[in-house]
Amino acid sequence: MSPGRLLERLAALIPILLGVSLIVFLMITLTPGDPVQIMLGDSRSSPEQEAALRHDMGLDRPPWERFFVFLWNAAQGEFGLSFFHRRPVLDVILERLPATIELTLVSLVLALAIAIPLGVFAAVHKNSWIDRAATVGSLLGVSLPGFWFGILLILLFSVTLGWLPVSGRIGYSSEVPGVTGLLLVDALIAGRPSSFLDALRHLVLPALTLALPMASVLTRVTRSSMLEVLRSDYVLFAEAKGLTRARVIGRHALKNALIPTVTVAALETGSLLGGNMIVETVFGWPGLGRLVVEAIFSRNFPLVQAAVLLYAVTYVVLNFAADLLYTVLNPRVRL
Amino acid sequence: MTAHRRRPLGFLAVLALASIPAGGLSAAELRVGFSQDAQTLDPANHRNRENETILRNMCDGLLTRDPAMKVVPEIADSFRQVDPLTWEFKIRDGLKFHSGTPLTSADVAFTFNRIVKDKAMSGQTSPRKSLLGPVEDVEAVDTRTVRFKMSAPWPILPAMLPFQEVVSKAFVEKQGDAALATKVDCVGPFKLVEWRRGDAVIMERDPGYYGGSPAIPPVGPAKVDRAIFKIIPENASRVAALLAGEVDIINELPASAIRQVEASERAKVMAVNGTRTFFMAINLAKKPFDDVRVRKALNHAVDRRLIIDKILEGRATPLNGVMSPDAFAFNKDLPEYRYDPDAAKKLLAEAGVANLELTIDTTGAFKPTAEAIAALMARAGIKANVQVWEGAVLSPMWNAADKRKDRDLYLTSWGNGALDPSDIMVPTLRSGGRGNAAGYANAKVDQLLDAAETEVDQVKRETMYKEAQAQVNADVPWVFLWLPQDLYGVSKRLKGWQPSADSRINLHDASVD
Repeated sequence: MSPGRLLERLAALIPILLGVSLIVFLMITLTPGDPVQIMLGDSRSSPEQEAALRHDMGLDRPPWERFFVFLWNAAQGEFGLSFFHRRPVLDVILERLPATIELTLVSLVLALAIAIPLGVFAAVHKNSWIDRAATVGSLLGVSLPGFWFGILLILLFSVTLGWLPVSGRIGYSSEVPGVTGLLLVDALIAGRPSSFLDALRHLVLPALTLALPMASVLTRVTRSSMLEVLRSDYVLFAEAKGLTRARVIGRHALKNALIPTVTVAALETGSLLGGNMIVETVFGWPGLGRLVVEAIFSRNFPLVQAAVLLYAVTYVVLNFAADLLYTVLNPRVRL
Repeated sequence: MTAHRRRPLGFLAVLALASIPAGGLSAAELRVGFSQDAQTLDPANHRNRENETILRNMCDGLLTRDPAMKVVPEIADSFRQVDPLTWEFKIRDGLKFHSGTPLTSADVAFTFNRIVKDKAMSGQTSPRKSLLGPVEDVEAVDTRTVRFKMSAPWPILPAMLPFQEVVSKAFVEKQGDAALATKVDCVGPFKLVEWRRGDAVIMERDPGYYGGSPAIPPVGPAKVDRAIFKIIPENASRVAALLAGEVDIINELPASAIRQVEASERAKVMAVNGTRTFFMAINLAKKPFDDVRVRKALNHAVDRRLIIDKILEGRATPLNGVMSPDAFAFNKDLPEYRYDPDAAKKLLAEAGVANLELTIDTTGAFKPTAEAIAALMARAGIKANVQVWEGAVLSPMWNAADKRKDRDLYLTSWGNGALDPSDIMVPTLRSGGRGNAAGYANAKVDQLLDAAETEVDQVKRETMYKEAQAQVNADVPWVFLWLPQDLYGVSKRLKGWQPSADSRINLHDASVD
């Protein structure tokens, strides 16, 4: 891809971000609910106190002014103070982001590790019992509510068997010096295998809960696209040349068959990077999803605005990454 | 296939075995499975009860409450009212902050002036200012004496002081207000080790702690080496963590999990009367609810005891008014509106109301309760529908007269951590109060509440509040409901800990076998 094309793609981000900011701002402004009242809760308060808080939160300004202040600050990388944490929004988001990234990446790897072999196997052995089992299994995987499945895993592996922890990212006696914020990576960098295993133990259940529905979707996508590729002329030609079945599938068919898988995986990853509120809540995972949903319920406007902008950027960048991957998988695709 | 099946379980087993020492509980570590993370560690910059519960284990206040909820000195040695507008506090000698700096009256004055003075926190006004009512200034008279000056007499100052914690003046001046959001330098049984945002607040015993209030024995350093608030927002997961032995105390135990916890070998249930009064506000401005007979009929139509038994597992006290039986000036002589559908029908007929249809507004958490109430009302010939809303939408709608004008009933609650009528009756029942969802306005009640607010004689104050409660009971602006217990799940290895009616989880005296 030429640098000019890259710049063009990046420039296309600006109207998207502006549009997203405006829509989020309008939704926030039009939704009933007052952060000042939520903060004061049940306790006694005076009108002066309410006015002072409203002023501190910048809510005494007209909406259009608040929007332009937000845009002006955002352009400089400033997103204001979180109403309830009373610290810069960006700090609050960034300290929760690594947990979500780590969970997402491990879930993605797990999902791909399940889905690609299973999807390919099911396609190659179409109508075999494994194919049917994979189809039924993926239907189940998509249908199982994460909340229920997560609790079930906790009851089995934590309460009954006592093998894995219920919640958190790492035990309290493990300390890992923060480098990337991803505990598995940081534990390896620090050369602490026990902390690595400890972090991994905490990751197993939430990652499995997230990976299963993702793997189900990806298995179905991989299977159907593999079936289509296997029917194509070039595969027939490769087989006619006398190549082994394994070579035809592994070298020729798989690459093309993976294009839809990559697209779906990128979209799923995009939504997971936004944090999965349900899984993060069930497993007490200190990620972004829980933070943002709490922020929505408490009308923590600056945090919601900044987080949604971050989501928009993540989505666009991941789609772009998927586009780039297409060119690797299929040289006929040009950006 | 067998091999395929075995692999993941084998992998999990290796993981489990590999790190038992890292995940295991050390004998002197106490963990609380807690429903909410702290928002900030600055005691003056929040209005959140859970935040305060966490902070209170690291930061003592001038005053605190003993297990019977009596206000007792903590950092203060003694206190007295000098005149109607002045209170004096003597500070305990030899107290040291976690950093080793000695605590003096200057720190106490700094702490409170930071709250009551406008823009005193780097240009921002403390959101806790209104919790200190008319306090205008706090002055350090000498190293051990501070005086609180007020613009009007305020007898509930002692009841409101346990809500505030003392910070170090030197620390804030050196590190700045912003540093207090994530760091702690207080006088308290535990000092902060690490705050893993969204995950845990890890604390360790401060060996130099003076021991806490002598009114709450045992006095001395905390019993455990480390105390951890582990944040687990989901109820079912919190219960699972208790049953798995990962935590020793969990808060907000759902009533539906009581049997599960009691059936386990590891844990048990502990309960204490809470401070949250449940009621249904009746929209007094709307016909036919402006007729007191209709409001009485609504009260007769709800079988509170049945709902307490069946939905709340018996863990609540029925109320005939607003105050908790544990609170100051609780009027125990209020007449009860007994469950009596026939009496309800009769009252509705007297009021000329036939085929009454109404809507109960509530939030998702109380939908089953609202539906049970609606079903009971049907027996009195009232057709009640339930409408579920998001809390952030419902509360501002009901607390503004123009927005609630078409609504009927609102199933809600109001907390009273101070256990004093001033903290709950003024906001919910004084005309124009910020939580007066019913739109109740009675000149006599207003006058009683206003007079009691500044009455220094506690006996007179008590009489005024009791009279106000009787008037409210007669006017029935609400369907009076109940005061639920706060439920905790605790491990059987936990010693020296009792749930507290102000929802605090004080770990100073707690230990684990």
